Amino acid sequence: TAAAPRPWKLFGAMCLLRLPRITQPLEKEEEEMAALMGQIELEKSHYSDHEMRKLEEEEQLRRRKESMYDDDEAPGKTVIMAQDLEEKWEKKLLQFKAAPRVTDADKNNTRTSLNRKLDTNLMLLVKQKIGNQELWLLPQAEWQPGETLRGTAERAMATVLGDHIQAKILGNAPHGIYKYKFPRAIRTEDNVGAKVFFFKAFLQSSDLSRADLKENFLWVTKQELGDYLKSEYLKKVNRFLLD
Amino acid sequence: LPCRAQPKKKKKVDVKREQAQKDRMKKKIKKLEKAAPEMIPIEDFITPLKYSDSKRVRSLPPLSAEETERRVLLLKKWSLFKQKQDKAEKLAIQTLVEAQQEALEELRLESEELYQAALRRDEGLFPFERQGPSYTPPLPGYDPPEGKCVDITKVYTQ
Repeated sequence: TAAAPRPWKLFGAMCLLRLPRITQPLEKEEEEMAALMGQIELEKSHYSDHEMRKLEEEEQLRRRKESMYDDDEAPGKTVIMAQDLEEKWEKKLLQFKAAPRVTDADKNNTRTSLNRKLDTNLMLLVKQKIGNQELWLLPQAEWQPGETLRGTAERAMATVLGDHIQAKILGNAPHGIYKYKFPRAIRTEDNVGAKVFFFKAFLQSSDLSRADLKENFLWVTKQELGDYLKSEYLKKVNRFLLD
Repeated sequence: LPCRAQPKKKKKVDVKREQAQKDRMKKKIKKLEKAAPEMIPIEDFITPLKYSDSKRVRSLPPLSAEETERRVLLLKKWSLFKQKQDKAEKLAIQTLVEAQQEALEELRLESEELYQAALRRDEGLFPFERQGPSYTPPLPGYDPPEGKCVDITKVYTQ
């Protein structure tokens, strides 16, 4: 059956999200509540074995000082006190240095690195040529007959990042749409405008060293999208992005 | 010529005795199977007796009136905070669903075939597994200390 000439061009775009790697800092109410919960738990609890041992040893020390009698145990035997154990554990903890939550990329604000803003989602933006303009947008590709829209989005991602990137696409259905009409100069009867269907995917592979990123690319958070995207496009994209 | 010293014992009595023994065993097995299966004790719900010793009770000063006041006010603030958070989450989910519905409608206007393809279930999506976020990012080149983990959980069979 001959399909009626569709006036809209179809594009599939991929919104690739790098999920957060560290927890977000607690809000003030959350911190206060956490402290209160800890306090209540402490009040309702009983002494643990370690604490009982500590109390008994303190008793023993006190009694020994008051009565001033000689040790009835052999002087050569060294008893490890619970207090010593605690100090040993503290020292061991202080020796361990964890990786910093605020990375170098954060401090230098290198927006091309994936190590930035480890507690929020990062999205991939590329600079593509639309018409005669170079615009920042989510990687998109034109739909070709014979493939589903999800396939188009996957192709768009593969052209930008290469084949070796593992990403989990969330379903076959598009999450958002951006419709725009071409400027009057190139608008014709059969070519009114374009519809860009957005798909969402989670980045699985953690290192992109094998990816050959040819074009200009950026990894940005939702708040920073406004610096790069046009307002209409941004409005539609913001609808399907969670903070 | 090989010959027997004693005449052979009759086989019938042995056979009967063996059969009687087998039947008794089978009856015992049936009785055991009919009995209800023993409940597996949930070890988390049974406090060991050594923790109910009175010496173990913590001695802390009683709470002052200001402290209780502060706690009550904090709990109220917390419930308000959580309510706002929940509402915001629900609103976000609603916008997400609306945006997707809009996209699907537009797709339908374009081509029925693509629409049907979009509606199909994605088999590879579930089960979806993901490592959650930790407090600090993984340290590059970290060598964890060696050791063996011995599992001492008690296994009960019914």
